[in-house]
Amino acid sequence: MSLQTCSHCGLRFRGRDNPPETEPVFCCAGCEAVYYALHDSGLDEFYDRRESWSVDEPRPVEQPGVNDDEVSLFDSPAFLNEQATRLDDGTMKVQLHLEGVHCAGCIWLVERMPRLVDGVIEARLELTRARITIRWNPQRILLSEIATWLGQFGFTPHPIRSHSVKSRSKAGRRMLMRVGICWAVAVNVMLLTIAHYAGLDAAADSGLYYTVLYTTFALSVVSLVVGATVFFRRAIANLKMGKLSMDVPISLGIAVGWGHSTWATFTGSGEVWFDSIVILTAALLTARYLQIRGNSMAADAADRLVSLLPQTARRIVEDTGEIQTVPADTLEVGDRIRVLAGDVLPADGRVIDGSGQVSRAVLTGESDTTPVGVDDVVEAGTRNVAGPLVVQVTATGDATRVGRLMEWVDSEIADRAPVVQLADRLSGVFVAVVLAAAVATAVAWGFIDSSRAVANVVALLVIACPCALGMATPLALTVGAGQAASRGIHVKRDDVMESLNGVTDVIFDKTGTLTYGRPDVVEVFGNTEAATLGCQLERHSNHPLASALLRWSRDHGVAPTPQHSSAIDDVEEVAGAGIRGIVDGREIAVGRLSWFCDVPDSLRQDARRTTARGFTPVGVAVDGTVQAVIAVGDELREETPRILNELRSRGVRIHLVSGDHPQVVATVAEQLHIDPEYVFGGATPEQKLEYVEQLRNDTDAKTVAMVGDGVNDAAALQAADIGIAVHGGTEASLASADVFMGKQGVEPVAELLAGCRRTMHVVRRNLAGSGLYNLFGISLAAMGYITPLLAAILMPVSSLAVVGSSLIQNSFRSEAPAATDSISTTEVTA
Amino acid sequence: MSVLYLLVPLALLLAACAVATFLWAVRDGQFDDLDTPAVRVLFDDEE
Repeated sequence: MSLQTCSHCGLRFRGRDNPPETEPVFCCAGCEAVYYALHDSGLDEFYDRRESWSVDEPRPVEQPGVNDDEVSLFDSPAFLNEQATRLDDGTMKVQLHLEGVHCAGCIWLVERMPRLVDGVIEARLELTRARITIRWNPQRILLSEIATWLGQFGFTPHPIRSHSVKSRSKAGRRMLMRVGICWAVAVNVMLLTIAHYAGLDAAADSGLYYTVLYTTFALSVVSLVVGATVFFRRAIANLKMGKLSMDVPISLGIAVGWGHSTWATFTGSGEVWFDSIVILTAALLTARYLQIRGNSMAADAADRLVSLLPQTARRIVEDTGEIQTVPADTLEVGDRIRVLAGDVLPADGRVIDGSGQVSRAVLTGESDTTPVGVDDVVEAGTRNVAGPLVVQVTATGDATRVGRLMEWVDSEIADRAPVVQLADRLSGVFVAVVLAAAVATAVAWGFIDSSRAVANVVALLVIACPCALGMATPLALTVGAGQAASRGIHVKRDDVMESLNGVTDVIFDKTGTLTYGRPDVVEVFGNTEAATLGCQLERHSNHPLASALLRWSRDHGVAPTPQHSSAIDDVEEVAGAGIRGIVDGREIAVGRLSWFCDVPDSLRQDARRTTARGFTPVGVAVDGTVQAVIAVGDELREETPRILNELRSRGVRIHLVSGDHPQVVATVAEQLHIDPEYVFGGATPEQKLEYVEQLRNDTDAKTVAMVGDGVNDAAALQAADIGIAVHGGTEASLASADVFMGKQGVEPVAELLAGCRRTMHVVRRNLAGSGLYNLFGISLAAMGYITPLLAAILMPVSSLAVVGSSLIQNSFRSEAPAATDSISTTEVTA
Repeated sequence: MSVLYLLVPLALLLAACAVATFLWAVRDGQFDDLDTPAVRVLFDDEE
């Protein structure tokens, strides 16, 4: 089995060995079908064009297939009652999460189902959310048969677990309807009002004048009821909590403007501003809708995780030892379950019997499998790829690691209400300034010309309507956070982006962030041929370092082949020392240096140097003499030094606080030119916390960001101004972090910081623009220069300027704008 | 200008139809997924 790249979708997958170079290879039947369909029609140019949607980080796929127990669940009345809807014509409709979807070929294949499978009436696939909607005739086919049909192509259907999915998409739809109605009203009111600006008045044609006036009034009532109530409700809720949010001045502006216009309409005196008010409502509602949509994207990503959990489990009955298939929901802590090769674990647990390999791709995005044995911890959602296991359940449902990740994202959404610090701070000031200006205007005009006092005050309140100011921050931040999410960076709260922009100190935890987070061969001393012989032997070992040696030998073109394996004999693994055996008739031993008696001096020195650099030396002996020393270690990521230099050039101080051995930490710090003053090796969780707190108290204006992944970082992440959890982190670090990275390494950290800086630049640009607008507007209104015409033009122009400036930002530069976000990619292919 | 007494209600009626169609489309879920249809056009419908 070797890794190949699908000629159609670009996915890396494990395929046959040594395919002919010129022949196309495919990951699935869907891709193959599409490839030849395109090729035969002479449309190969498609492959030059499709880069825009191909996944940016392809991963190997383990073909999931369909498990019979899982499938039978689809026919159970309980499932159908809960998830499916029966339509009037006797057909049924259901939405399922479809695992294994990653390219256009998959849509093509899946949506062809109605023609190929009797009884299926419709199949629609949503690529981004990997969700399929099936309508079928239950008299002619069972849902389980449909699932099996999909399974033969490597697609696994899963029930959608979360109930919030439906309510979320309903809330989004309701808001979109409001937006649509409000814009329809707004544009029509604008058109009608043009007649007034063009000179139509009661004297010229009183019949037409009043018709237009009353029509715009009626339309504005629609906008008020459908749209503005959203702001009124939130403003009241905020006032009850004793807070001045942006909703307060917005509501005030709308209410005062509409009230005065209505009064003017029916008394026939004063100005009418219905057009300004309806546009304002529509524009602000649009901003809010975009925010809702952005939030639900993050929640969908988390829901997919839970859908991947299996519905059933094989429980071992305590007394008799027989195996019983039970719904996963009924598992309890302490139950023993049997997990066969190919199964996904239904709950978190500890292995109590057997050994195997698990793929944690769902949780960590790491496609390499990890060996597990007795006493190892395995998590729900991971897949057992080899050997049967008996697992004692330690957590089920929401208490599992996946469940907690869900909760984290849910809390992210709940946390959204008190966002937008800068705008909220400003809105308090703003409301005070506007009210003061209104009072001043009223008093001043009371002396100058009391007949114009009311009109001018209301003009001021309407023109000062914080339309642009209200949208400036949330819109810019939402668009920025949305762009970040499409790059696999999930920002928990909008205000984090503001704090991150002013970050002065970044604390890194070494493992997995600055380094690759897995052992690799760094260097080989001595006889390379001997080293490759040693690597052959490592195939029989489960030791963590063995995988490093195997990867190295594969990369150097000496992949162990079946022919070689026949020549390996008498393999014996000595715990804590190494492994020995006969390879090609020669006696080979691989292990720690102290295990060998005969070590040449030069190699001994190389080994010492290796240790000094923070790596582990592994000796390879041929016929009793050590001939090579292989340095294995967690190597620095290629991009790490460049990115740290970039951060430094922006005046960010880099700290390295790690629980690793002080010698190792010091070596890494030296390689990266980190000031020894800011390096702290062998730190306990308490010391990490203390370090962060000390740093924060050091100088008052400091903003500290902590990047970590381990459970030992959780407290420090919480203590830091901004906690950033990197992919593969433990649940505790997720819970206390403000930002969650869907990708590993240091690159996303730099991307996040750069993106936040650009986003905040847009926010400031918006605030400055709308502030300037308000300054001029209020001054002119106070002096009595603002006519309704001017107000009507200025209002939408200023708002549109803000909307445009927010939408065109490119804060998180994305090469593949339409591609599914990286989180979904890893999960779907997992 | 009396034609406006006919045209304005007519225009509003048209707008109401457009809004009704939009509401139907939203309820139908046509705005739920904005990415897949872009890919779907690549496929031939004929058999």
